[in-house]
Amino acid sequence: MQRTTLQTLSLYAGLAVVCGVLLFPIYWLFVTALSTLAEIRQLPPSFWPAEPQWSTFAKVGTERPIFLWLWNSTLAALGSVALSMVVSVFAGYSLSRFSVKGGRSLGLFILTAKMLPATLLVIPLFGIFRSMGLIGSLWSLVLAHATLIIPFTTWMLKGYFDTIPRELEQAAMVDGCSPLGALFRVVLPVATPGLAATALYAFVLSWADYAYARTFLTNAQGSWTANLGITTMKGEYVTDWNEISAAAVFIALPIILIYLFLERYLVGGLTAGAEK
Amino acid sequence: MSLRFLDLARPSRQHWLGYLLLLPAVALVALIIVYPLFVSLDLSFQKIGMATLSAPRKPFTLENYHKLFASPDFWNSCWVTIKLVVVVSAACFAVGLGTALLVNNRFKGRTLARLFVALPWAVPEVIAVVIFAWIFDSSFGLMNWLFIKLGITSQMINWFSEPTAAFWVVAVTMIWKGYPFVSIMTLAGLQSIPEDFYNAAKVDGANAFQRFWYITIPVLMSVLGVTSVLVVLWVFRDFSIIKVLTDGGPLKATQTLSIMTYDQAFGFFNMGYASAIGIVTLVLCVVASLLMLGRKSQAMY
Repeated sequence: MQRTTLQTLSLYAGLAVVCGVLLFPIYWLFVTALSTLAEIRQLPPSFWPAEPQWSTFAKVGTERPIFLWLWNSTLAALGSVALSMVVSVFAGYSLSRFSVKGGRSLGLFILTAKMLPATLLVIPLFGIFRSMGLIGSLWSLVLAHATLIIPFTTWMLKGYFDTIPRELEQAAMVDGCSPLGALFRVVLPVATPGLAATALYAFVLSWADYAYARTFLTNAQGSWTANLGITTMKGEYVTDWNEISAAAVFIALPIILIYLFLERYLVGGLTAGAEK
Repeated sequence: MSLRFLDLARPSRQHWLGYLLLLPAVALVALIIVYPLFVSLDLSFQKIGMATLSAPRKPFTLENYHKLFASPDFWNSCWVTIKLVVVVSAACFAVGLGTALLVNNRFKGRTLARLFVALPWAVPEVIAVVIFAWIFDSSFGLMNWLFIKLGITSQMINWFSEPTAAFWVVAVTMIWKGYPFVSIMTLAGLQSIPEDFYNAAKVDGANAFQRFWYITIPVLMSVLGVTSVLVVLWVFRDFSIIKVLTDGGPLKATQTLSIMTYDQAFGFFNMGYASAIGIVTLVLCVVASLLMLGRKSQAMY
């Protein structure tokens, strides 16, 4: 398709305007984090700090247990992703390869599980976890996040396994491999990109949770996740927006970086999880 | 021979292994999804404050549901939820489709533009709330300055104590967080259209608009059907954005069904009543998505 110079120019101009407006909130977060309190409280606002205050990051990083929060988020995410991936790999493989009775209805059930409101499930889970003594422990998040993740991962992995030709395992089994051996030695190595994409997407899902963390961990400060921790900074006495913005940058950065560098995998997972 | 025993070619063994592989997932899902779901269904029929598993079951009652349907609070929450779903989904689609079509053009730096146009997807919801709470801050927020500068208002708006204003703050935050999903899905859909379709249409003399209308739109429809269900469900069930941004206030102007469920359960400790609201929410979600998917099933390619 050939375009005139004018059309190309207006395309770039439109793009600049659209991106400028849509990405401004992210820019503003960084600018606020780098501004002094005085700059934040002046009107008209300054759109770039006279002297970037990098020290705010150091201050927030030392005064607030942000790295502990990030670590807790990571632990909860790793735990729930590991748990979900193990059961989903087997289930997805089974749904893809074996015509088990009730497989279809199970698939349908998994789909409806995606419609469950977390605010409904959190009530019985709270009762169950309380009697198990899990309230206040990160293990409660590992299990609760698995309820968010398993429906996605099972379905995504089934989709990836569907794209791998059956002949591959059949050949391995002719060569004397057991069906499980074929899964581990032949199918999983081929499916590695799919597994990585699925796990990455599941990680982001877990990382984004706030409802479960708030319900199970509010009284256990040592187990606070990043999302829970930062909300406690908002609304305490006077909010110093530069400090809370700096904390927000710490918390948003891991996922933004994952997105920027591994977007291909994430989007693969996103769209695969949504198709049918 | 043990190898024979596990031979995939034999149908009986095949089923056996298939079930075995499903077992861990089924057991885990039964434990952490199905069982809790039944517990909450059971709770919704009891007059119960704090859910404890060891306590003896309270007598069966429909009181929670009676109370619910008689409560103006519930109908208010339904109305807020519907308003939010309509406003946010429509805007997410407008912005999402627009951005997707924009970066689907061929130009230098397209890959980068695609990446950046959907960047808000990667910002956690709670962080999006921090950003917008600050932009809409009533004393030093940027939005008040902009509104006064543009002459829309003459005095500072207190965004979080004015019901209509608070609703729009929530809506704007959710739109910003939700539109990238629509762009990503649309782009994926657009990429699945083979170039040959367009070339064939061009040979047949179709103009740009006709190509868009007869090729792009029909193919996109099936992708957008699924996407719309997911967006609607997301708005319907969202908790974190509203909870942290406005906590359902002011005057319950942003209290959706999800927020009402949560507040009844963990604010007022009426877990029976809260479960009833949650069950009704779930039924509404399922009905809404069935209605939307029903129309999508005649997807044309």
